[in-house]
Amino acid sequence: MNERPVRTVTSATIFVRLTLIATFIVLCMRLYALQIVSGATFQEQAVVNRLREIDLPAPRGVIYDRNGEILARNRPSFVIAVVPADLPTDDFTTAVDEQRIALERLLAVLRADTDPEMALHIAQGMFLHLGRFDFAAAFETAGIDLSYRLVNLESLQRTEDGREILVEKPMLIPDLSQPFPVAGLLALLERAVALETQGSSFKPVPVLELVDREQAFRVAEETYQLRGVRVLQKPVREYPYRELASHVLGFLGPIPQLAADDYTAQGYEDLNESVGLNGLEYTYQDVLRGKPGHKLIEVDILGRENRTIRTVQEPEPGLHLSLSLDIRLQEKMHKALARKVEETGAPHGVALAMNPRNGAMLGLVSLPSYDNNIFSEGLGDEYLALEVEDDTRRPLYNYAIGGLYPPGSTFKLVSATAALTEKVISPHTTIVDQGPLYLPNYFFPNDPTQAQEFVSWNHKLGIFHGPMTIVSAIGLSNDIFFYMIGGGFPNTMEGLGSERLAKWMRLFGYGELTGIDLPGEVAAFVPDDQWKRLTKAESWVTGDSYNTAIGQGDVLGTPMHVLVSTAAVANGGFVVKPQFVQEMVDAQNTLQWQHNPVIRERLPVDPYLLAYVQRGMWNAVNTASGTAVTSRVENVTVAGKTGTAEFCAYDPTIKDCIDRDDEGNLPFHAWYTAYAPYENPDIVVTVFVYAGGEGSATAIPVAQEILSAYFHELRP
Amino acid sequence: MFELFLIDRSLWRHFDKLLFLAVLSLCSIGIAMTYSATITTIDLADYWQRQLIFTILGAIALISTALFDYRHLELLAQPSYIGLLISLLAVYFFGEVKGGARRWLDLGITDMQPTEAGKFLLIVFFAWYLSRFQEHIRSLPYLLGAVILLAAPLGLVYIQPDLGMTITLAFISGTLILINGVRFAHILMGVAAGIAAWRVLRGTLQDYMVERIQIFLDPGSNPDAAFNVRQALISIGNGGWLGMGWGEGPQNQLHFLRVRHTDFIFSVIAEELGYVGAVLILLLLFFVVWRLVHIADLAQDQFGRLITLGVAALIFFQTVVNVGMNLAILPVTGMTLPFLSYGGSSLISMMVAVGLAQSVIMRHRKIDFQ
Repeated sequence: MNERPVRTVTSATIFVRLTLIATFIVLCMRLYALQIVSGATFQEQAVVNRLREIDLPAPRGVIYDRNGEILARNRPSFVIAVVPADLPTDDFTTAVDEQRIALERLLAVLRADTDPEMALHIAQGMFLHLGRFDFAAAFETAGIDLSYRLVNLESLQRTEDGREILVEKPMLIPDLSQPFPVAGLLALLERAVALETQGSSFKPVPVLELVDREQAFRVAEETYQLRGVRVLQKPVREYPYRELASHVLGFLGPIPQLAADDYTAQGYEDLNESVGLNGLEYTYQDVLRGKPGHKLIEVDILGRENRTIRTVQEPEPGLHLSLSLDIRLQEKMHKALARKVEETGAPHGVALAMNPRNGAMLGLVSLPSYDNNIFSEGLGDEYLALEVEDDTRRPLYNYAIGGLYPPGSTFKLVSATAALTEKVISPHTTIVDQGPLYLPNYFFPNDPTQAQEFVSWNHKLGIFHGPMTIVSAIGLSNDIFFYMIGGGFPNTMEGLGSERLAKWMRLFGYGELTGIDLPGEVAAFVPDDQWKRLTKAESWVTGDSYNTAIGQGDVLGTPMHVLVSTAAVANGGFVVKPQFVQEMVDAQNTLQWQHNPVIRERLPVDPYLLAYVQRGMWNAVNTASGTAVTSRVENVTVAGKTGTAEFCAYDPTIKDCIDRDDEGNLPFHAWYTAYAPYENPDIVVTVFVYAGGEGSATAIPVAQEILSAYFHELRP
Repeated sequence: MFELFLIDRSLWRHFDKLLFLAVLSLCSIGIAMTYSATITTIDLADYWQRQLIFTILGAIALISTALFDYRHLELLAQPSYIGLLISLLAVYFFGEVKGGARRWLDLGITDMQPTEAGKFLLIVFFAWYLSRFQEHIRSLPYLLGAVILLAAPLGLVYIQPDLGMTITLAFISGTLILINGVRFAHILMGVAAGIAAWRVLRGTLQDYMVERIQIFLDPGSNPDAAFNVRQALISIGNGGWLGMGWGEGPQNQLHFLRVRHTDFIFSVIAEELGYVGAVLILLLLFFVVWRLVHIADLAQDQFGRLITLGVAALIFFQTVVNVGMNLAILPVTGMTLPFLSYGGSSLISMMVAVGLAQSVIMRHRKIDFQ
C-alpha cells in the first residue's frame, strides 16, 4: 500500500511537466502565428487604428469693395461635435447603454438640462443636421410630442434651360420655439449618430455650433475623458456692414436639402458645409470656397489628435473678390433711400448706381434689407422662409433684380430713341399738346362718344404744353408727344407700332436678363401683337402702342433694366452687362482673374440722333420747366428722366386693384433715372420707390443725394 | 510558537534563490510594463510607483511566509475551510451587489472579496484533507467526501455568480485530487458525473456567462467586447519579432488597448517587446511553475507537496487563462497575469503563495529542521 501512491505521484509529476511543456509550446506557437505569420496584417490594422485622414478646410475668400474695405470675412468659431466611431458602443453584457450615457454626460456638460436656451440651440443645430424628416422621426420614436408650423418654402432652382427660378413649396416644419426636453435632445443625438454610423463614422456630428472661445475651452476641459467628443474650429462668415450690402453679398448656409444632389454632383462631400445661398456668395461659391485639403494625423482611442504625420494635400484657399461697389456710396444710397421709404410709408424701394461705360456696379440697395450675419448663426433655408413669411415686406427679396414694375416715363428713353432712328419723327418734328387725345374707335371712327381719351399728366394740372420737339417733350415728359410717336394718329401721322416698339425694347435689354452677377434676376416678356394674342386673346390696338410708348400697359422691367437702358443712352448706345466682381486675387495677392466689361453690339442708332435724347434728359434737369430740376448737383451737369408709373396690384377679394384714391385713380410707383456728368458720364443712378407717388417728389431727392455724395464727398 | 519567527541561518541553505530571482524579474518587468501602459494616462501616472511598493511589500511577505513553518498550517486547515464557508454564506446573505454579481463583503473600511483569499484557504484545506486521508483516498467514500467538501464552496461561488472563480477553484482542487492519486475507474465516474452535472447546470448559466462564451466563439456578436479582443490581437501582431520598443507601442500608448495595465498587460508586452520578449516572459512564468513542481517533488511530506502543487496549479492556471485570453484562444474572464498585471492584492497574494513553497523547500530535509 505504501509503494503505489509514490509511483502514482512520480508519474503524476511527469505528467504535470509534460503538460507544462505542451502548454508552453502551444502558447509560443500561437504567439508565432499572431506576431510573425499574420504580423503584417495586424500592423496594417494598427495603422488604420491610429492614422486618420482629416479634411483641412480651405479658408473662404474675402470680399473687398473698390477701396479695399472688407465686406465679408471669416471669424474663428468653435463647434462641439461627436465622432460616432469614437463613442463608446453599447456593451450588451450590461443593462446600461454606454453610448447613451456618454451623450447624456455631454448634454449635461453643455447644460442642456438646465438652460432652456441651450436646449433650443442644440435642437436647432440638430434640425439643421438631421433635416425635417429625421428630426421629427427622432421625437416620434422617443415618444415626445412636437408642434409644427406651415411655411411656404422658397428656393432657387435651376430650370432645364439653366435659368434660376424661385419655386414655392408649402412645408410643415417643427416649431423651434417650443421647449425641448433633454430626452428629446438625446433622441436627436442618438439618431444623428446612428445615421452617421451607416456612412463614414469618423465624420464629426455637430452638436452645438458657434461656440465662443471660452465656452469651447470649458467644454474641452470637462469632456476630456468623454470618448468621442471633439471641439472643432469652424470659421464663421462675418459681414461688417450688416444690412448695408446684404442684397449684394448674400449669405451662407448649409446646403439646402432640395439642392443636395446638385452639390453632391459637384463634389461636395459634407452636406453640412456652408455654401453661398444668395448674392455674390452664391454666384461665386466655387471660387470663394477654394479646395479643401487633407491631413494625415495620429489619433488615440478617443479620436483626439496625437500628432500630425503629414499633410496629404494642402488646402487651396478661396480667391478674394474685389468689387466695383463703393461701400461709402452704398451707405449714402441706403440712408437716402431708407429715409424716403420711411417718409412715404412705401413697402420697398431700390437705388442703383453703376458706371455707364463698363457696367461696374457702384451700389445696389433694395429695401427692406436684412442683416446677413444672422444667417451664419441661422437655421437654414426652411426657417428663412418662415422669417420671410413673418415679414410681409419680404426683406430677403432683391427688388432691384427680382421685382418687375411698369417703368413709366423712364421708358420714354426707349420710345424716343426708337422714333428718331425709325424716322417716325425727325429731331425737329413738332407735335402740339392741345389737351387730351381722343383716339377714334376702330369700328366707329365717326362716333366721337366711342373715342378713347388719352391724357397727359399735365392736363390734370390744367397745363397744356403746346408745340414740342423731342427734346422738350422728354424734358417735360409730355405724354401726348409719346402717344403720337408710339401709335400715331389716324390721318395725321404714323407711329412706331407694336413691332418696332417691341424691337427697341429688346434692343435696350428689356425682356431678357441684364446678366448681373447676382442670382434671382427676372425679366418679363416684351409685349407685342403676338404676345397679346397668345396671352389675352386680343389683337394689338393703337391704344396699346400709346401705353407702351410711355412705359405703361404691359411693359414691365426691373429697376436694373431701367438702369441699363439709361446707361445705354448715357454712353452713346452701348448696352452693358452690370457686374460687381471686377477682380479675383489669390491668397498671395496675385491677380487671378479680371473682369472684361461685357458690352453688347452697339444699338443701331446714330449718335447724332441719340444726342437729342440725351439733350431731352439734360432739359429735364437743367431748364426751368423741366421735370427734374431738383436733381441738380453743384458744379456737375446732371441729366435725368422721371417716371410716375401707374400700377395695379390686383386683389381677387375686392376684384379690383388695391389702393385706388378717392377718384378711383390707381397708385403710382416713383421712378427717377439719371446720369452725370452730362458731358462725360461717370455714374448712372436709378431710384425706384414702390407706390412712392410722384417720381419728382419721392425718387429725385434720393438720386440727388446719391449724386451729390458721389461727386462732392467720395470723389473730392 | 515563538521559535517560528526565529531566523535559523541553516534554513536559508535550501531557499530557492532561482525561483526568487525569477519572481523578482517578473515583478520588475511588471513595474516597467505598468509604467509603459499607464504613464500617458494622467490619472494612472503614478501606478508604476505603487506597483514598485507592492513588489517590495510582496517580497517582504514572501520572505516572512518562507520563514513560517508551513506544517503549522495543518492546524489551520479545518478552521480556514469553515471560515471560507461562513464568509461565502455571509456574501450570499449580506453581500454587496456590484455589476450584477454578489461577490463583496462590506467590511466598513474596505470591501472584501472572500474568494481571493479562498483560493489559498482551499489549497491549504485540500492539501490537509488529501494528505491526512491519503491512505484511504482510493476508496470511494473518501473521494466523494473530497468532492462534497469541494462542491459546497464551489456552489456558493457559482451562484454569486462568478464562473471564472468557480473554474479556478475547481481546477486547483481537481489538480490536487488527481495528483494525490485517484483510481482510473473513479476518474471515469467523475467524467460521467461531470457530463450529468453539465446538463443540469447549463440552464443555470447566467446570461453574461453564456454571452462571454458566445463572444469567444463568435466575436461579432458583441462589438464592444469583441473590440477589446481585436485590439489585443492587433497589439500583439503589431509587435512582430522584436516589438515596437518599450513605451513605443502605438496600440498601448494611444490607448486602443483597454485595461492594458491589468488584464491585457501581456498584449502590451507582446507589442512593445515583440515575439522574443513575450516568449522570454512566458519562459520565466513557466520556469516559476516548473520550479514549484520541482519543489513539490522534493517536499518531505504529502501536505507540503500538495500545498506547493496547489500554488503551482494556481499560477499555471492564471497564466494560461490570462495569456490565452490575450491570444484569443480562451474567453475573456478578467483574470490577472501573475506577477505582471498591476494590482496590489493579486501581486502580494501571489508572493505569499511562492513564500509558502519556499517554506516547503527550506524544510524538505528533516535533518535540517531538527
